[in-house]
Amino acid sequence: MKVRGGLAAIALLCFVGTAWAQAGGDLSVGRKMLLEDNPGELWIDKGKALFHEKRGPKKASLEQCDFGMGPGKLEGAAAKLPRYFPDVDKVQDLESRLVTCMVQLQGFKRDDVEKKAISPSRSAGSDVEALALYITSRSNGMKVNVTLSHQKEYDVYKAGEYLFYRRAGQTDFACVQCHGEANKRIRLQDLLHMTNKDGAGEVASTWPAYRGAHYVVRTMQWRLYDCFWQMRLPDLDYGSDVSIALTTYLNHSGNGTIIKVPGFKR
Amino acid sequence: MNKASLKRTLLGASAALVAGCATAPDEATTRQIAEKMVKESFIASPAHAKRLVQDKSQQICSKIGDAKLTQAEAAEVVNLARASIKYPASGKLVGDWKIGDKLAHDGAGDRIRNGKLEKRKENGGLCQNCHGLAPGEINVGNVGPALTGWGMQRGNSEAIAKYTYEKIYNAWLYFPCSNMPRLGATGHLTPEQITHLVAFLIEPESPINKK
Repeated sequence: MKVRGGLAAIALLCFVGTAWAQAGGDLSVGRKMLLEDNPGELWIDKGKALFHEKRGPKKASLEQCDFGMGPGKLEGAAAKLPRYFPDVDKVQDLESRLVTCMVQLQGFKRDDVEKKAISPSRSAGSDVEALALYITSRSNGMKVNVTLSHQKEYDVYKAGEYLFYRRAGQTDFACVQCHGEANKRIRLQDLLHMTNKDGAGEVASTWPAYRGAHYVVRTMQWRLYDCFWQMRLPDLDYGSDVSIALTTYLNHSGNGTIIKVPGFKR
Repeated sequence: MNKASLKRTLLGASAALVAGCATAPDEATTRQIAEKMVKESFIASPAHAKRLVQDKSQQICSKIGDAKLTQAEAAEVVNLARASIKYPASGKLVGDWKIGDKLAHDGAGDRIRNGKLEKRKENGGLCQNCHGLAPGEINVGNVGPALTGWGMQRGNSEAIAKYTYEKIYNAWLYFPCSNMPRLGATGHLTPEQITHLVAFLIEPESPINKK
């Protein structure tokens, strides 16, 4: 029994280790992954380092990036996103705000950042994925609290609700066709009931998440992109207004849920 | 009050206005804002962008929240559905259940990634994603009702074959705005493919009608 358990542990170690080695890491990292409940935890440290490192053409860190609580103030910031930002006169989600800072403060090219934002499966992950997770993790234990105090926030929220019910394409799907009832599945995959507060709360509180099937951390932008792909609609642009509107609608619907990232998805 | 403090007061008042007085936009405004977002949020060739444009039935069937269809709207959806249905050139509505079985378990086809259309000879029927199929089959969804025993319960008469064909081609003929995709009417499946699914559903030899 002991031997068998040991073999299984070695097999698992090799399995995880191989995945990581392919991604350019080393075995010690794989061993560390085994000790954690959620392999996504590793991305937090990576994101933290990236946040403070002087990077990009302007050789600047992200310490002056304002996520709504003031420059560099991350505690609880993600819990209130999406929100209106006067400097861009737009409602932004965490990821679009992050890209704004990487472009303005660090001098990265927007197209480059957005193109790389969603990483290939089994890769080491993108900078944006690690940063988004680190920043959100600074709201762990806090309640989702999206307010609609600015008119643009209210407008975007209502647009998100409209889009949640907007059917299109050859499958005639809107979000609500799969996410409007409790205890539903696509094949064996459970679907969240997002017109219910708890279901919306799970959306609002568990992204970014480690996606087991992909061996990387995925973000809400990825989640939405992949849904539209499955619906047979065209490629959802990274950080698009549709994505921000849906996220505003869902996060506001999930207000009060306690944030715990990284989530863990199949 | 000196000039500076007046300025502060005014600033404070306008900040309060901005912060506290957001109101729900009316429906027309929301539609306008959201439809503009749809136009600007996808990277698509003109051909693929057409998928984002709603037809009349989709517009009617996109009710928000608990809003109900009016009788007139339901009648319009039914009329549009009736007009949409095309029958196979052969006139034969019952195809090969074995091909239908494969189609029912195929969830692929016509997805777009990085601007490229999924390469497929034909689209899958998508049935397994949402419906229970043969008895004891576990890897099936439950967004729609189980189809297990469909033909056993209804028989395989001409009338049932026609009903089944139309139900798959455009489900909204019988249930306006149901969750079921109008698989034939939107062009996801061809009439011939649908005849195979009809056979899979109604033929007594089909695994769906076994105990």
